[in-house]
Amino acid sequence: MNTTTTRRSGFARLLRAEWTKFRTVRGWVLAMAGAALITVLLGLLSASGSHTSCDGACPAVPVGPGGEAVEDKFYFVHRPLNGDGSITVRVTSMTGQKRLPDSTPGSRRVASGVVPWAKAGVMIKESMKQGSTYAAVMVTGAHGVRMQHDFTQDVAGRPGGVSQRSPRWLRLTRSGADLTGYESTDGRQWSQVGTAHLAGLPDAVQIGLFAASPGDLTVTPGDFGGSSAASRFAAATAVFDQVSLRGSAADGAWRPDDVGVTLNPDGSPHHPGGFKESGDTYTVTGVGDIAPLSDGQQIENTLTGVLAGLIVVIVVAVMFITTEYRRGLIRTTLLAGPRRGRTLVAKALAIGAVTFVIGLVAATAAVTLGKAILVANGNYVLPVAPFTEPRVIVGTAVLLGAAAVLALAVGTLFRRSVAAVITAIVLIVVPYILATASVLPAGAAQWLMRLTPAAGFAIQQSIPAYAHVLGNYTPSGGYYPLAPWAGLAVLCGYAALTLGLAVFQLRRRDA
Amino acid sequence: MRRHLLAEWTKLRTVAGTGWLLLGLVALTVAVSVVAAAAVSCTSAGCAYDPAKISLFGVQVGQAMAAILAVLAISGEYSTGMIRTTLAAMPRRATVLAAKAAVVTGLTLAAGTVAVLASMLVGRRILLENGFTRGPGTPMLSLLEGPMLRAAFGSVLYLALIALLSLGIAAAVRDSATAIGVVLGLLYVLSILPFMIADPDWQKLLWQFSPMNAGLAIQATTHLSTLPLSPWAGLGVLALWAAVALLGGGLSLRLRDA
Amino acid sequence: MRATIEVAGLCKRFGQTMALDGMSFTVEPGQVTGFVGPNGAGKSTTMRVILGLDAADEGTALVGGRPYPGLRDPLRHVGALLDAAALQPSRTGRNHLLWLAHSQGLGARRVDEVIERVGLGSAAGRRAGGFSLGMRQRLGIAAALLGDPPVLLLDEPSNGLDPEGIVWMRGFLRGLAAQGRAVLVSSHLMSELEDTADHLVVVGRGRVVADTSVAGLIAAASTGRVALRTTAPSQAMAALAHAGAVVAATGRDTLTVTGLEGEHVVAVLNRSAVPFSEVSAHRATLEEAYMELTRDAVEFRAAGQEAAR
Repeated sequence: MNTTTTRRSGFARLLRAEWTKFRTVRGWVLAMAGAALITVLLGLLSASGSHTSCDGACPAVPVGPGGEAVEDKFYFVHRPLNGDGSITVRVTSMTGQKRLPDSTPGSRRVASGVVPWAKAGVMIKESMKQGSTYAAVMVTGAHGVRMQHDFTQDVAGRPGGVSQRSPRWLRLTRSGADLTGYESTDGRQWSQVGTAHLAGLPDAVQIGLFAASPGDLTVTPGDFGGSSAASRFAAATAVFDQVSLRGSAADGAWRPDDVGVTLNPDGSPHHPGGFKESGDTYTVTGVGDIAPLSDGQQIENTLTGVLAGLIVVIVVAVMFITTEYRRGLIRTTLLAGPRRGRTLVAKALAIGAVTFVIGLVAATAAVTLGKAILVANGNYVLPVAPFTEPRVIVGTAVLLGAAAVLALAVGTLFRRSVAAVITAIVLIVVPYILATASVLPAGAAQWLMRLTPAAGFAIQQSIPAYAHVLGNYTPSGGYYPLAPWAGLAVLCGYAALTLGLAVFQLRRRDA
Repeated sequence: MRRHLLAEWTKLRTVAGTGWLLLGLVALTVAVSVVAAAAVSCTSAGCAYDPAKISLFGVQVGQAMAAILAVLAISGEYSTGMIRTTLAAMPRRATVLAAKAAVVTGLTLAAGTVAVLASMLVGRRILLENGFTRGPGTPMLSLLEGPMLRAAFGSVLYLALIALLSLGIAAAVRDSATAIGVVLGLLYVLSILPFMIADPDWQKLLWQFSPMNAGLAIQATTHLSTLPLSPWAGLGVLALWAAVALLGGGLSLRLRDA
Repeated sequence: MRATIEVAGLCKRFGQTMALDGMSFTVEPGQVTGFVGPNGAGKSTTMRVILGLDAADEGTALVGGRPYPGLRDPLRHVGALLDAAALQPSRTGRNHLLWLAHSQGLGARRVDEVIERVGLGSAAGRRAGGFSLGMRQRLGIAAALLGDPPVLLLDEPSNGLDPEGIVWMRGFLRGLAAQGRAVLVSSHLMSELEDTADHLVVVGRGRVVADTSVAGLIAAASTGRVALRTTAPSQAMAALAHAGAVVAATGRDTLTVTGLEGEHVVAVLNRSAVPFSEVSAHRATLEEAYMELTRDAVEFRAAGQEAAR
């Protein structure tokens, strides 16, 4: 037999022995089953605690080309374009108004001003259907010139706002499915802002001027901790002139449309936009936003029970090693597997794999059943890309597995269960709770979710934070500072590092 | 009872871990409070944060040390089998538990007082340096004003009640790892549950039920009217939890074989 | 693989005390080797070093010519019983053996075989936490036999056994040696090994004091001594002392005489008309021989390091 296969089979034997050890202690098996059960039950409890009701049927939420829910609400002054062409405009002013918090309840206070992501400019859009593909070049309230397309994509141009004295020229050209945005300060020297490839863009599209303004967002610390976000009405008005169209755009008048405007019960539009044409000057007022939507239930809301399951997992994983120390059984283990590093790794792999499987079952059940409950209660569950839901579920299982390995390693280092359980919980669970549900400021909360093993919870975030959409992007709002896999990598890094340290200690110490 | 107290005091005093745990309680509480206070930044319009909650923030982590101290005081004896020696020497089991509770409470109160006072003083200094005000022209409450005193005194009591809750659970569960898991689960998981449920009635109910949320209401000095429970009623909820745990632990100690 | 244990020049220091101070000996196959010494003499530490649990500061310990951590499926080479209480109390005895078997690539059938062999039978299905000391000892023996190893190390295997169990253990160990295995059995009671061991390694203060066969040791301790039974011990003592012998009283009417041959003793007593009923060559007990050997090696470290480790 060649040496590598015997080595591997030796490791497989250790792994099998550790699995036998685990499954023959009934308390551990029951505790792990309990961890899965509490994870699912708490998830379902939180899902059934959420109800939404609409008068009649809830309005359908538009879905963008990428499959995400979007807000597609703006004022569009447009005409059809067949085939290639371009639009050029000069923006000479951008103003707006926003509602202030009520100082005396019931009385509205409105002030002039534009919100940072108010936007106005030129757009080519597949159709007037909400959620259809588009590309646009725009000036914004506080983020300069941008080129955006398909809701999630955003490229920055030059910074700065517009005024009568320093107008901005914008141009959007179409060549097949490729759109290119340009900007200029004088209409002569043009620089490219960005390009967009809109797959499947039909020959006949809509081209024109638009304006939109997302609500004014304020985030306040919650009364019991955490934070709450409130959005108040805001509108933006842009003045365009020097409008020129190239290509086979249909002649005749511009068609104004208040895309996606909500209607009051009496049928009148709620917060309407508007359009005025005087000579070759066009004034467009828009309310709303062209951006991904984050209002709604996220699938990870059904995974709230993971935290409780995690504590059980930590306790079992710690006991998996500390009971051996307490009884002196560790010596027997090391007699059977004298190469200590391999023995400990086999042990870690065994508890990690058991936890992973338990976690996978629990997360699958919680997400599947929880989503069904949420939908049955009239909630809108934000749709996600095809691989996001499996990522959240599998990632949660990995999170639990890695936490188990970390707990086992801490248990090996301390050899005492209480110290190890506390340390593991303070490392993984406490930072998460302080970051999401305490009065801690958002900045500190974000550092906790970057630096501690709790960063692994980022794998559960199903809706990304978009730089071009203002939101309550704090851990308490469900947004983590690290990307999902990066966050999970931080946790796995901690687990690997601690396991390495534990192997080092186990090798060094007399058993 | 005096002998019981003396015996338990001697036992706890002569275990190496006790001193370190009390030191850890003070150090963790103060360190985390300082970091939290330093993390708060205020706008010119005033601060939305509760100065007492921020400068006593470390209690949320320091309480874990009080929990370990209490859990080890009883399950440490179960893991070594010393509980049989203890019960042979002092057969009145309820008295043994009461003596343990008294000693653990005393130690927690002592360490808690140091931790809370230090956190309050240092936290206040940092907040003031960062320009903390309640609003334009409204200075921060002084430490001697009613709500601040209540927050400080109440936080010390909070730590002691956490220790008693842990002691009761440890007496009922016996295994140290399980006991500490149950305690921390009760504290931390129940504390976050209200934030995970959208329904406001449920939210309020769960908040009132959670020993950590309700108990820490004692630290609130702002927005008191929006709290689901008044500060003292909140601490009462925690006291109720501790009483039930001690009762359960006491019954288990009396009725089950050691 | 050779069925041997070779220990050479082991040294190990715990803080100020030398636990092992040049420990060297060899355990041969086909016999039971007793490993004796007072508490704290370094027996358990030596065994743990042999088994790769503790690291020696100096020296080597080989099993079958190789260091323990280098053995593949070590339980097939060496079986060991160190601490019979080292069990997860909520796991059944059989399952305890099962995970050990799995770690060596052995199956459940082998587990049932060893359970039968040590006479644990149906008790093996119960939680190990409820086992008596004797049952745990049998379970420990079963674990040691699991891999059918040619070398066995047993630390105080008779601890906690009832008299019937002690007899069983004695026969069991002899049987294992008769199969050609090398068996090392530690004990701090010499009497326990008297009928079991063929060979003895006596240790004290971390080094070997004697490495000899049992027969040889007893013979060495017995030489030149005569046991005397008399109704007039004081007369006898005076007469013999006058003749140049060293005499010690060992009982109400028994004396031990050193320094005179048996015939001379009879002659001296007859000459002085001292009555006696028996004169015989003294056969030392193993206990006596051991006491003789370890007299200056005993260290009274209360409860010893053995207990603390």
